[in-house]
Amino acid sequence: MQRKLGRRRFLACLSSGAAGTLILRDPRSARGCPVNERLRLAVFGTMYNAQHFLTAAHLHNAQIVALCNPDQRKIPAVFGRWEEIAREWADSTNPQQQQAAPQYRRLADRQGLHIFTDVRQMFAERADQIDAVIVSDYDHFHGVACGQALRAGKPVCSERPLGLTIDEARRLRALAARTLLPTTYRSPGTGSGSFRRGIELTLIEEDAIGPVREVHLWFRRGGPDRTQLPQGHHPVPDGLDWDLWLGPLPWRPFNQRYCHGTFRWILESGGGQIRDRGAHVMSCAMWWMGADGTGPVTVEATGTPPTRGLWDSAVTMHVTYTFKNPDWVMTWDQRQEALVPPEERGEDEPKIIRPGYGAVYHGDKGTFTHWGGDGGTWAERKCREWEPPSGAKEVYKSPGHYEDWFEGIKTGKKTIMNIEAAVGVSNLCVLGNLSYMLGRKIEWDQARQEIVRDEQARRLMSRPQRYPYHL
Amino acid sequence: MNTNELIAKIKSDDAQVRTEAWQSAGAVGAPAIRPLAEVVVKGELEVSRAARRAMWQIVRHAGRPGARGERRPVVTALLPLLGADQPEGLRRDAAWMLSEIAGARAVAPVAALLREPALREDARAVLQRLPGEAAVAALKTALAGAGSDFKPSLAHGLRQRGVEVPDVPCHKLKPVKATAVTPEGRA
Repeated sequence: MQRKLGRRRFLACLSSGAAGTLILRDPRSARGCPVNERLRLAVFGTMYNAQHFLTAAHLHNAQIVALCNPDQRKIPAVFGRWEEIAREWADSTNPQQQQAAPQYRRLADRQGLHIFTDVRQMFAERADQIDAVIVSDYDHFHGVACGQALRAGKPVCSERPLGLTIDEARRLRALAARTLLPTTYRSPGTGSGSFRRGIELTLIEEDAIGPVREVHLWFRRGGPDRTQLPQGHHPVPDGLDWDLWLGPLPWRPFNQRYCHGTFRWILESGGGQIRDRGAHVMSCAMWWMGADGTGPVTVEATGTPPTRGLWDSAVTMHVTYTFKNPDWVMTWDQRQEALVPPEERGEDEPKIIRPGYGAVYHGDKGTFTHWGGDGGTWAERKCREWEPPSGAKEVYKSPGHYEDWFEGIKTGKKTIMNIEAAVGVSNLCVLGNLSYMLGRKIEWDQARQEIVRDEQARRLMSRPQRYPYHL
Repeated sequence: MNTNELIAKIKSDDAQVRTEAWQSAGAVGAPAIRPLAEVVVKGELEVSRAARRAMWQIVRHAGRPGARGERRPVVTALLPLLGADQPEGLRRDAAWMLSEIAGARAVAPVAALLREPALREDARAVLQRLPGEAAVAALKTALAGAGSDFKPSLAHGLRQRGVEVPDVPCHKLKPVKATAVTPEGRA
């Protein structure tokens, strides 16, 4: 197969300054504040994106001006961390930390910071004081929170995956297209140098692995199978707005088993490993294959469910995605054993921090393997030992997906993990789970962004959201 | 496997037996819906859960392409579960099950739930999903008679079906629902 390189070529050109010009109506229109000013961030939730920005905003010339969380019990820990940083960094020998210490002291002292329970309240009261929004909470609220931010005219950095349903992702893409606001979603693996070098190797050295027709993604651990069912109802704890936390989901009485850590393993609110590690490694694979903007024609999943407990996402799972024009196959394999054991590495080599999942690209002449995809991607040795010939065009070197987003905000440049890429990966995860739930193969029309020839599956492309927590 | 065998396995003490039973419930079909619903209501926690999943399995199996003949009896078996004599959780589940496979026949029974505060939002969502003009008409009728607290939700459902509702504002961007939680640091 000839690999389709549309977006990658585009990104490569971007790095050489030859393309990628986006004409903004004026320098303020992309983000609403002059380019050199410190960017004012609102952070919704306390998950991975939040964990980064709450203590590293200064690295991006940004500052936190608002925190929002339906569960206010999460807030004191944030203040605790800021207090810790402010104290430690005040005496740090690292000049950058010392310089940033007053910023975190002000936050710890609640100066210039506003705290909200309801994201709508935040925009109603402070929209003019917020430049961009970090969406970093549970999956079932990503779409609604991103939608609120885009409608308020704010660039968004969201957790992955973007949408809980096909329809939600489609609406978000339309909204982002209409507002022309830069978006990104968390998939840091694609920013890794060794991963990029792997792409270059296989692009430039024709004999390296040859044309690729199969990509096998795996995750070593099965899903959970150990939890108890929620018994009865619990009183809603002080500090938690349960109605807000549920948001678009059908209402149910509070039970502490439903939040926080469990949402990911319930199909209704999370979707299991395929939407967690799967989303990361699929982002890598789609980028590697130059396949962002494309989609499968069929999706077929099998798997085993938990035998007891609350969680209902698959324990083991095998999904086959078939792509046409060009023809290739991607599989997601959630299994008890690693598909490829981690490469043995010497003490002077970078340690593979996430050896339990990854991808194998099968070409006509060989294979390419990487491990991880979240928080780092570790390509096999042959990539790290290879140097591109002089003059060879390099694949776009990401400054890191957060910095890439900030560049998008400042310049209007399209981000690497942009809304189209986010929607594509979100759809792959949703379609895999739908096929698993329905127990049958699904046919997908990429051009129309819809399932075909299966009325029930088509109805499941969307799930009516609870008013008023809808896109 | 017939209905009796399915129910016996669903009630098993062995988690593996229960799991295998609910996974193969699809082929047993409509006759198992009512007995399974009874187990959902009366069974021990894990047994009840297995029964509920068996019901969903039947719905997903009956919804497959080319199985219209199997869908109809499953819908027929689900409709009585919407009745006021059933527990609220079961009625909610039945409504969402119908949203995946039912047609116009389910509209009136689901629309009846719009009058019940605990179930009306689910009923609105299910009507939003059910295909056909009957579902839209039911939402319109409900809108005309609804109180001001429920009108915006019904209007949202109609808008999702492509109906313009200019007189009822959408509050999705406004914090109109009061929260009892005071943000940290606020008086």
